[in-house]
Amino acid sequence: MSGTARKRLSRLLGARRVVAPLVFLLALFIVWETWLHYLPMSRAVIAPPSAIFATLVNGFPILMKHTLSTLIEIVQGFLLAAVVGIAIGALITISTWTRQAFYPNIVFFQLIPKVAVAPLFVLWLGVGTPSRVAFAVFMAFFAIAIATATGLENTKLETIRLCRSLTASHWQTFTKVRFPFAMPHIFAGLKVGMAMAMIGIIVGEFVTGQEGLGYVIMFASSAGESAPLYAALLLLAALGLALYSCVLLAELAVQRWYGAPFVSEGFA
Amino acid sequence: MKTAPNIARVLGLPIATGITMCVVWHVAVTSGGVPQYLLPAPTEVARKLITSLPELLGHAAISGLEAVASFLLATALGFAGAVALVYAPLLREIFYPSIVGFQLIPKVALAPLFIVWLGTDSVSRIAFATFLSFFPVLISTMTGLQNADPNAVRLSRSLTASEWQTFVSVRIPFSLPYFFSATKVAATLAVTGIVVAEFITANAGLGFLILSSTPRMETLTIFAAILMLCFVGLLLYGAVSLLERAGRRWFKGA
Repeated sequence: MSGTARKRLSRLLGARRVVAPLVFLLALFIVWETWLHYLPMSRAVIAPPSAIFATLVNGFPILMKHTLSTLIEIVQGFLLAAVVGIAIGALITISTWTRQAFYPNIVFFQLIPKVAVAPLFVLWLGVGTPSRVAFAVFMAFFAIAIATATGLENTKLETIRLCRSLTASHWQTFTKVRFPFAMPHIFAGLKVGMAMAMIGIIVGEFVTGQEGLGYVIMFASSAGESAPLYAALLLLAALGLALYSCVLLAELAVQRWYGAPFVSEGFA
Repeated sequence: MKTAPNIARVLGLPIATGITMCVVWHVAVTSGGVPQYLLPAPTEVARKLITSLPELLGHAAISGLEAVASFLLATALGFAGAVALVYAPLLREIFYPSIVGFQLIPKVALAPLFIVWLGTDSVSRIAFATFLSFFPVLISTMTGLQNADPNAVRLSRSLTASEWQTFVSVRIPFSLPYFFSATKVAATLAVTGIVVAEFITANAGLGFLILSSTPRMETLTIFAAILMLCFVGLLLYGAVSLLERAGRRWFKGA
């Protein structure tokens, strides 16, 4: 094979990485549309892409209202969970005693199916926004607390010794060294926390059935109308991507602030 | 000399914390006059758990079996999918971006879709829980298979091992830690998936019991059912952890 041919081939293979998934998605939509055009199936089960798009356009005001409700609740739940989670993570690492007393209990909670508690929140806080947000906080803060505690524990011993020999106070050591060092862990926890907050709000909407995209999905599926269902799923996917990107951007900003490049892991 | 008190502290402290929390809960509820439908005392929950154990076990068996079935399906499919994607570059290039993109969207939202497609029996619940717990296994196993030590792969090639031999004796052992850490995530997700599906459609199972007791304000039943669900979840998690130990020892010995 000559040099130019090989170069062209490698460029083609490089393009394949981008093109192959796009072609696949496009082909999927075309097959989906034509399949339903020639072999109609029940509208309750599957709707053609054109019908989903039409629902998105025609039902835009209603869908936006529910999207906004879901978005605001997720953001509220996530921010509260971040504050509570980081605070608890920092508090339990104050001493070896507190860490040994609380850390295993929090990890234990991480293992049990927390989602089952959703109806209790309805019982305590009613069917409105407060119960969904509280449930989302409950779902999300464990992962953030565990990640924060792990990060704070894993600060390099030499740096802490250096701080001590420079007569830094506990608080100074915490703000200047331990907290920045814990940042990659904290952001890994925040990414999981964002996913959990979304799950919390959606399951909350399933259970309370008042408003939000989760409610639209439930309502459409029980009404046998799949086009709004798929439209709501599409909006939720967009919401998920946007919120995840926000966490990534925040991570970049914090990275730049501390002037230290680090990468945290993505979704578990 | 130093280890014995350490173990006592490591085990004793969290248990002491748990007991203290239960005592505080009990005292707060009994002396604070909190009505039972809001928060029952822990002793009452324990009594309820014992008195209605047969009924709870019946529901737990249904949810537990469905969770185990979806966990097994998800790990088998996830592992097979990972092998397929690692050995077929074209498939990987087509599907991998979609799979990663899928990780970012809240998959629980798809639960009603499974009921629309597969009906209201346990098939749709198992399918949904499988779907939920499948992705971590797929992605982790793929990472593990691809991250096999290149030197070991090269060595086995130079020893004229076939692709299959390399796969079994090099790639699989290297991928096991990734696979097992993902199976633990999958165990928790399988139970979560079954509970969410039972919230939406079921006439039996612990999720159904919890949701159907809510409008009747039977908080005692809810707490007992949640406790039972914790047992189911921990049982599954514990079994997976034990298997992980056995698996690691097996491949170290081989």
